[in-house]
Amino acid sequence: MMSPTEEDFELELRSLSGVLNVEIRHRDNGDVDAVTLIVTGQDPSAIRVMATQIVNLYYTEASVIVEDASKAISPREIQAVRVALVRTDFNPENGNCEVELSYSGRMGVGRAGSGQLFGGAEATLAALRELGYNIPFYLLTVMSVATVRGWPVIVTLRPFSEGADMFGIAQSDDDVAAAAAATLDALNRFLTKAPSYQ
Amino acid sequence: MNGASDDAEKASQPYEPWLFQTMLDELSVSELGIGFIYSVLDLLVDRYALSDAVVVLVHDSFGAQLFRAGGGAISVEMAARLGTVPGVYCEPDIVPLVERDAMRTACQLALSLHLARFSAAHDPLTNIANRRSFDSALLAATVRSARYGWAFTLVLADLDGFKIVNDTLGHAFGDDLLRQFGLAMRRSVRSGDLAARIGGDEFAVILSNADGHDSSGFTDRLRTHLGPAREHVGFTIGTASSPRDSTDPAELFRIADARLYEKKGMNHR
Repeated sequence: MMSPTEEDFELELRSLSGVLNVEIRHRDNGDVDAVTLIVTGQDPSAIRVMATQIVNLYYTEASVIVEDASKAISPREIQAVRVALVRTDFNPENGNCEVELSYSGRMGVGRAGSGQLFGGAEATLAALRELGYNIPFYLLTVMSVATVRGWPVIVTLRPFSEGADMFGIAQSDDDVAAAAAATLDALNRFLTKAPSYQ
Repeated sequence: MNGASDDAEKASQPYEPWLFQTMLDELSVSELGIGFIYSVLDLLVDRYALSDAVVVLVHDSFGAQLFRAGGGAISVEMAARLGTVPGVYCEPDIVPLVERDAMRTACQLALSLHLARFSAAHDPLTNIANRRSFDSALLAATVRSARYGWAFTLVLADLDGFKIVNDTLGHAFGDDLLRQFGLAMRRSVRSGDLAARIGGDEFAVILSNADGHDSSGFTDRLRTHLGPAREHVGFTIGTASSPRDSTDPAELFRIADARLYEKKGMNHR
């Protein structure tokens, strides 16, 4: 738990114009060792001067590090949210697979009954559709899964009409998880777009 | 069922008010502030066995603010990626939206309340204590002094010729001078002392365990820390000690104020 003094210390640093994030590192004895500020849109050297004044008021021994986030890649270049594989399950009694995915806190569950590898891939596609991805059923005509147990799983997705095959590869101790991850890998470019929720 | 399945089952369950309950529990042991934000982020990480969690807040006074679970640093790439879109971002991305929204709202409230609490006690120009905090601290110090005999010294400081500086060099320059004086005061006090701005160019310090003769150390440090600002402004101080001079806060203040203006060579206002 932070002390009230440390909370006010961080508040003062964050109140400096342009400061996005503050990290306070401690020594083994609990003393503050270094303060790292992530800043953007302002003059980092000016922020460093003001931050050093504040740091010296609270912890005279601490060093100050200022990193400029405005030099990093722009937010438009990277998707902040992506599809995540949450859970896979296989019922050996009926051969059914279940794959659960999430996107931005929304859950999608897909089921298929074609064994662990083909079933895992098909269940993944179903889960994506439930998440809101508009994957037309006619888009995929061939799904081949080639593996030796313990080796990576390769999934090939072939468009119904024109277009190149899409390949995905993944390895896991669990065949369903490997098939699901490989399917997501194959659809990677397709999944960079946000799903359209119904 | 393995651990991952357990986590997924939790994530897919209907929303339960665990978050509000844990936040209330947290509130009962700590004040609502930046520490609270880190606490609830850590709670989220523990509940869903997350590898990472970040909350992005956008505040009128602070602009965009990013907090990472455990108080860890955020890389410039991550800062650029998350940008200024408010929300709670988790790895893996399994926390229900309703819980992330509730957490973001609570964190926004915590940051606002922390700022409100800080602003209520501090002078906005110099970030040292304001008159209200000073009055409370002086009252508490005199009570301790009267009851237990704990000595302290009240130091009042008044800038010399500040009005002329303001009139000739402008109010912006004057404000900057006040900031520098406030900063010098903060650097000059020891842990346990209190520095405050109690008026336009009037400052006060409560020096703990000082009997009136020890304030010279403080004034020496203040002159040193003023640095180049001394070219533009000087200061005069008046002191009074408790319990020696008085244990009444108003009387103690009056004595220090009278000594200050005596030094200034002018009559009390």
